[in-house]
Amino acid sequence: MLSLLKRYRDLLVLGGLLVYPFVTFLTSGHRGRPPHLLDRLVLAVASPLEGALSWAVDGLVVGARRYLYLVGAEEAYRSCLLEKAEARAELNSMRELAAENERLKRLLGYAEHTPAEEIPARIVGVNPAHNFLSVRLNRGEADGVRAGMPVLTAEGVVGHVQRVVGSYADVVLATDPASKLGVLVQRTRARGTATGAGGAKPLLLENVLRSEDVEEGDLVITAGTDGIFPKGLVVGRVTAVQRNAAGMFLHAGVLPSVELWRLEEVLVAPAASPQSVAAEQEARR
Amino acid sequence: MKFLTTVAIALLLLVLESVAVKRLGLSVSRIDVTVVLVVFLAVRAERLEGGFASFAIGYLLDLMSGRPTGLYVFLAMLVFLLGRLASMLVEARSAGTFLLFVAGADLGHSLLALFFTWTPISPWGIAGQLLLSTLAALMLWPLLRRIDPGTDRPQAGALL
Repeated sequence: MLSLLKRYRDLLVLGGLLVYPFVTFLTSGHRGRPPHLLDRLVLAVASPLEGALSWAVDGLVVGARRYLYLVGAEEAYRSCLLEKAEARAELNSMRELAAENERLKRLLGYAEHTPAEEIPARIVGVNPAHNFLSVRLNRGEADGVRAGMPVLTAEGVVGHVQRVVGSYADVVLATDPASKLGVLVQRTRARGTATGAGGAKPLLLENVLRSEDVEEGDLVITAGTDGIFPKGLVVGRVTAVQRNAAGMFLHAGVLPSVELWRLEEVLVAPAASPQSVAAEQEARR
Repeated sequence: MKFLTTVAIALLLLVLESVAVKRLGLSVSRIDVTVVLVVFLAVRAERLEGGFASFAIGYLLDLMSGRPTGLYVFLAMLVFLLGRLASMLVEARSAGTFLLFVAGADLGHSLLALFFTWTPISPWGIAGQLLLSTLAALMLWPLLRRIDPGTDRPQAGALL
């Protein structure tokens, strides 16, 4: 028995190295496993390297751009001064309005709620595997980033945090096939699910009844029912609506409002609270 | 030594690619740098050393993908074993055949990854990836030759 094991030692080792990851893949599903010690160690080496390289490349590009922008800078400077004076005057009048608004709110006993702070983050790298669309942020556990938090820009939804290791976080983009967002068509309040289609393709608008009033160009916003995204964030616009002769649901795409392939900075927002999701579901009932 | 060198190169190349894709845009085809290294190990490394190095390279790609499921480790090992089997039948130690091996392995790797993740991707995307990976193999060839300038070829039955 021992001699047999010795004879086929290499074959057994190589077989083990082949079978073990396959079994892990079959049992872990599409979400992936939580990071263990070795993952943390490797990422502790790779992520700062990624951050430094990204910083150096960005610095070079920005430097080159700034040099090119010097052409015509004086003219732009004078125009900026003028705009600044106008903006200052506008700001003063807005401050007056804000103060008045505050006084009136107090008068009416309006309960003010302060939204939780968003965490600004910079993208340091894109994952090198084509099948999963994710990016790495330079904010992690110490900055308050947690798995499941939504990631946004001023234009709309980017994705959600999949994993946080040390000072870095991996974000699954809304276009990734594993991403599913509960959405509403803003104009008609038709509900559906926006699912990633991979690559640079539009999201797929699913589970919208064929009878619903949905047109190309309609704005799609988050419904706040997926437990990740708060209600009302812009996802994109409806495109390519198809109503087949048979079937319950219509087929359409959602063109993301954020240019996901040109992202630089993002905001990590607090996750939708379970209370708000429950209230939304209650309202639906 | 070959184990540590190839794993370090894989880590460096993955970091470089991650930053390059970020700068160029997400819609750009990826380069399967790990496939290039695994094919190199299949045709040049010792059985166990190559096996462990391929496992480590697959693990790095799996980790860098942001969603470690074990898929890329399995695919790296599969490419290593099939590459080793093929290199017993065909001489793959010259630059030309090495590039052909890389192209074939990359195609197989991409199709299997598509099959297991069920991700729709256009044939043009795969073609672009094949072209870029083969170009990367061409550029990495002198460096890889430095790591292993040997001329020995796996003998028939060397897989087992």
